[in-house]
Amino acid sequence: MPNVRVTINGVEAAVPANITVLEAAKFAGIEIPTLCDHPAIEPIGACRICLVEIEKQRTLQPACTFPVFEGMVAHTRSEKVVEARRFVLDLLFSERNHFCMFCQMSESCTLQDLAYEYELDHWKFNRPMPKFSVDASREYFVMDHNRCILCRRCIRVCDELVGNGTLGLKNRGADSMVTADMDVPFGESSCISCGTCLQVCPTGSLADRASAYMGATAQIDRVKTRCMACPVGCGTELIVRENRVIRVEGDWDAEPNKGLLCEIGRFVPLHEKRNRVRQPMVRTDGDWTEVEMEEALGLMNEKMREAGDDVATIVSGFVTVEEGKALAQSPGAKYLMHPIASEQSTAKQADLDEADLFVVVNTDMTEDYQVAGFAIKRGVRQRGARLLLINDAADGEAADGEAADGEAADGLGDWAMRRFGPEDANQAVSIARGAQMPVIVAGPDGAKLATELADQIPDAKVLIYTPGGNSRGLYEVGFQEAFEGQEAAVYHVVAGEISRISPELLEQLRQGGTVIVTTSYREPWDEVADLIVPMPTTFEKSGTTVNADGMVGQVVVGVITRAVPTNEIFNSLAELAQ
Amino acid sequence: MEPGYYAEMDPAKRAMLLTALYMAQEQYGYLSREAMERVGRRLGMSPREVYNTATFYSMFRTEPVGRYLIQVCEGLSCHLAGGAEDLVAHLEDRLGISAGQMTGDGRFSLQMVQCLAACGSSPAMRINDTLYTNLTLGQVDTILQDLEGRP
Repeated sequence: MPNVRVTINGVEAAVPANITVLEAAKFAGIEIPTLCDHPAIEPIGACRICLVEIEKQRTLQPACTFPVFEGMVAHTRSEKVVEARRFVLDLLFSERNHFCMFCQMSESCTLQDLAYEYELDHWKFNRPMPKFSVDASREYFVMDHNRCILCRRCIRVCDELVGNGTLGLKNRGADSMVTADMDVPFGESSCISCGTCLQVCPTGSLADRASAYMGATAQIDRVKTRCMACPVGCGTELIVRENRVIRVEGDWDAEPNKGLLCEIGRFVPLHEKRNRVRQPMVRTDGDWTEVEMEEALGLMNEKMREAGDDVATIVSGFVTVEEGKALAQSPGAKYLMHPIASEQSTAKQADLDEADLFVVVNTDMTEDYQVAGFAIKRGVRQRGARLLLINDAADGEAADGEAADGEAADGLGDWAMRRFGPEDANQAVSIARGAQMPVIVAGPDGAKLATELADQIPDAKVLIYTPGGNSRGLYEVGFQEAFEGQEAAVYHVVAGEISRISPELLEQLRQGGTVIVTTSYREPWDEVADLIVPMPTTFEKSGTTVNADGMVGQVVVGVITRAVPTNEIFNSLAELAQ
Repeated sequence: MEPGYYAEMDPAKRAMLLTALYMAQEQYGYLSREAMERVGRRLGMSPREVYNTATFYSMFRTEPVGRYLIQVCEGLSCHLAGGAEDLVAHLEDRLGISAGQMTGDGRFSLQMVQCLAACGSSPAMRINDTLYTNLTLGQVDTILQDLEGRP
């Protein structure tokens, strides 16, 4: 791309010819305020706060949409510009209710910061002060229309990034209002609670229930880390105040999610209802007694020594590579809680944003691996990529009654061009043959079929997701077999925060043997365990995790706890094996 | 003619949205949720997008109106001609409803609109697709009597 020469506030710079004045100013180290613009989405020039003076232009121009040109001379803080921005702010503040002192986003709000910067010390215009409703029908966050400035960031991220298209704008002009679907309460809409709208709102209109009034920008720290809930392996930012995580946001700089998160990564950890394990607990005659760590370790060692090699260690995807390495040295057999097939992946998750055809086999990407599902939805909606679904429910013969009509089984149904049962997979092959860049995505039950299909479709790449955030990392340190009911005298389950546990596993643990569970939460393990040992959550530990396509992510401590690091516990078990 | 007719003609399906909405409104009198969903399906758009567009334009209706929709102009010319206010008051009186309402039997709706492009022959009103100009209160009575006799 050729460069053009521009002068902004007297600073000369050579910038790429295809960028906007806003981006050029950033190049030159000059900041221009924005409200409706956000780097992750397309600019629309709606709010007019980024107006700048460009010589030879009749009027002020919005920097976010105006392209640079050779010899452009721009002024971003001239008297005319400052006056115009103040006018824009006067109008914004006059339209709805912007009493900052009552707002949970006070001191963390772009609109408020601008009002101070441009010295708004009174209301210039009479305010109609309409009273709008507050939509509190969603579990994790609420929408207060009174604080909305109609910048449409929420609408655009929902459509452009998440591909869900739930949010929209009804009516026109002063009557405009952000609405969900055909104007239903947000909680009853097609919203999937990913919270991306919440993360980009520049005012206090979208308010997080967990962190409202809990800490303004100056009082918080941001810690970049990784989500371990699934093998997409999203980069997250923990918002920490006084050693407490008050909110989780998507890390805009991180692959593969580029700022996006799903309900499970963003909200579930902060709305956890289960009881936290802080102290080791021993079950004696059916009752739980808290004991000191030393005693618990002694008991653990004793049970394992008695069992010799007849020990089964079962790890969930919440176990880091480092924890896994230490556990791999302990006695007995080593199992993953879930089957793993991600090592057969030939695609990178970034390929989802390039593909012109998706074949999704036996997994519901709107339930599991959601952020990867967003990429598929985006591809279908925006690039016109085709989506073929192959699953057991599609032929209407699923054993599960709910899925019998083939609808409930896959939330991506609305996006799909065709749906097939596994026995009709050859039909998918014939459609997929013409694709330039086909990507086959599969869950654990579809891995075999997916690799078979890949052999028949030219240039097809495969991406296999299996439950467990770090399953692939644990596979690489020696946990290669899935637990399928193998019997042992002592079971050591290393669970972390995992909440979805197969009934078969719980049933087997209930049946017999000594059950030791290292876990962050009591439930459901207190039904089956004999000894429970505390384990830090992802927020509380550091380590390494490997996602579905083999990318290594760093888990970083956000909260410091008094708990004994699990590595120490696991290393003491390793000594037994020698 | 089905809205889909145009969709098949034009590769840019969504460009047909306003036409399709207009046709649906002609057919049903207003744009029901079902009608908007159906238009969306035919044009490959989500019901949300259709709804947002329909509410943007003031001449699309998303609520039912009476069999006869009476739109009285309150634009500048009609106002200056001295007719609009009297006209509305008279209609409200005759129909027993206020502007913006529908009669209980679902036969008449009364609305105020900004301009009917008949400034030269104000005051003006429109009933469904028929424009009435240079109106007097007596003429309004005659028109209403005629409509009351119709199905």
